[in-house]
Amino acid sequence: MKAINLTAVLFYYDGVQVFEGRDAIGGHYVGVGIGPGISTNRYMVTGAAPERLRQFRGGRLDLRTLLLEAPEGEWFITVDQEGGDSPLYLEPQPVPVAECDCLPGPNFILEDGPDGLVDDLALQHARERGNVIFEFSVEPPEAVAHRIRMTTLGNILIRVQTVVKRAYESAVRDLPERTRSSLATTDGHLMDVVVPAAPGSFRVLLEAVKPPNMFGSGELARGLQRLDAVFASAADPDTVRETLKPYQGPLTGSFIQLLQFLVANQTGLYYSWADPLAMASQHSGVSEAVARQLMEQLSGLENIATEDVTITGELELVKRSAGDWGLLTASGVKSGKVSEGGPSLNGLEVGKRYRFHCLESIEVDGAGKEKAALYLQKVEDA
Amino acid sequence: MNLYREILPADCPPEAAEEIVRPRIVYRLVDGDPPADADFDSWRVKNPEAQPRTASECEARGLSVFSRSRDVRNLIELSSAKEARICQVALDRGAGHIQKTGRRSHYTWWPWADFDILARCQVMP
Repeated sequence: MKAINLTAVLFYYDGVQVFEGRDAIGGHYVGVGIGPGISTNRYMVTGAAPERLRQFRGGRLDLRTLLLEAPEGEWFITVDQEGGDSPLYLEPQPVPVAECDCLPGPNFILEDGPDGLVDDLALQHARERGNVIFEFSVEPPEAVAHRIRMTTLGNILIRVQTVVKRAYESAVRDLPERTRSSLATTDGHLMDVVVPAAPGSFRVLLEAVKPPNMFGSGELARGLQRLDAVFASAADPDTVRETLKPYQGPLTGSFIQLLQFLVANQTGLYYSWADPLAMASQHSGVSEAVARQLMEQLSGLENIATEDVTITGELELVKRSAGDWGLLTASGVKSGKVSEGGPSLNGLEVGKRYRFHCLESIEVDGAGKEKAALYLQKVEDA
Repeated sequence: MNLYREILPADCPPEAAEEIVRPRIVYRLVDGDPPADADFDSWRVKNPEAQPRTASECEARGLSVFSRSRDVRNLIELSSAKEARICQVALDRGAGHIQKTGRRSHYTWWPWADFDILARCQVMP
């Protein structure tokens, strides 16, 4: 009798409702609970083409259509008595799949992506390595063959590191001044790749560059908690314009750039992370379908990716005709432009101290390199 | 005396679960209108002999609920839930513990034994 192993839970509610499995030679399967009742351990199972399965996981194909595409109409029933990681034995069914009244309706769509892979690599590696581990998976079209374009991988790594950096900065900024100044590091967001291609969808494991303190607490976790909050805030495209507001600024800017990249590369992104002392990993993510909806909602908002900042320093450079300026501050020279309709630079004196009220936005060039852009809105003597 | 609706293993609910102290609405499938007490039995009660596949024994003894109604509407599409109805449950102080588990708006809820669920469950049209 044919047997498969459950590899990912795609929908959970009082038990596994929809799952993905593999047989011994790598064939892909999808299974769905057929009752009686919702708390069932009886499932119908069909083979599934990897690309169609990918589309289902990404919220772009409904479950009924996927099941009806079963190779040669072949389908099976399995009863999961053993649980754990035991194999599921498939009983072939004599009637064509299209004639089964156990098929779901046409509207079951994994709009928010799968529930998660069965193996918790983030937690496992966090315990083994004694460090904060961040695992993410993406599924661009070529990933069905467990491969990924170099440019896609390079760019996704840059965008993930950028959004984690912005999340970390945002979290640190919210700390009380005394706590903030006592931090032993200012670059707790940095991560190294430690497993470049784990089994499953194209999965990458990263760990914090800075190891945890003696209590097992890593600075990276601070940023990842803020990242969880951002993803949770963006869970519902209908309300995202409001729920993302607390994270307005470079963090939201980098989140939007990540979404743009996912949509352009036809993939969702799912992640989990754990510190060495965690009982379970935290996980979140966004499907391609939801990333698309979020982009539609957020594209019209002009100010959500910018942040008001005030900088004080000595005017070092001024180009009145071009509207360029440079201010020497305690943390180096900050330069920018006058924003549209902003104040005139006429009358400002090089060498004199000013307080510049600016809008800051983060712009990314074609290679994924970030640059903060400052747009002057108001000038005061300091 | 058992504080919870079901007998739970040690360290369950987990530390990360929060005690419900403020009003919140969750959605759960029920078999009919009016709902019955058995609609709030856990997977473990309905499958006393089976082993949970991915959930812990603690989660298997909790109740799945969603905080967004659209997530539970997806479930109605499954043949195992075609006859089911959606119940809006008004939780408040005394309802027990709850924890975000899994994706979407899925939560696991461990009700207190003396929380009158049926009185707070309104079947949606």
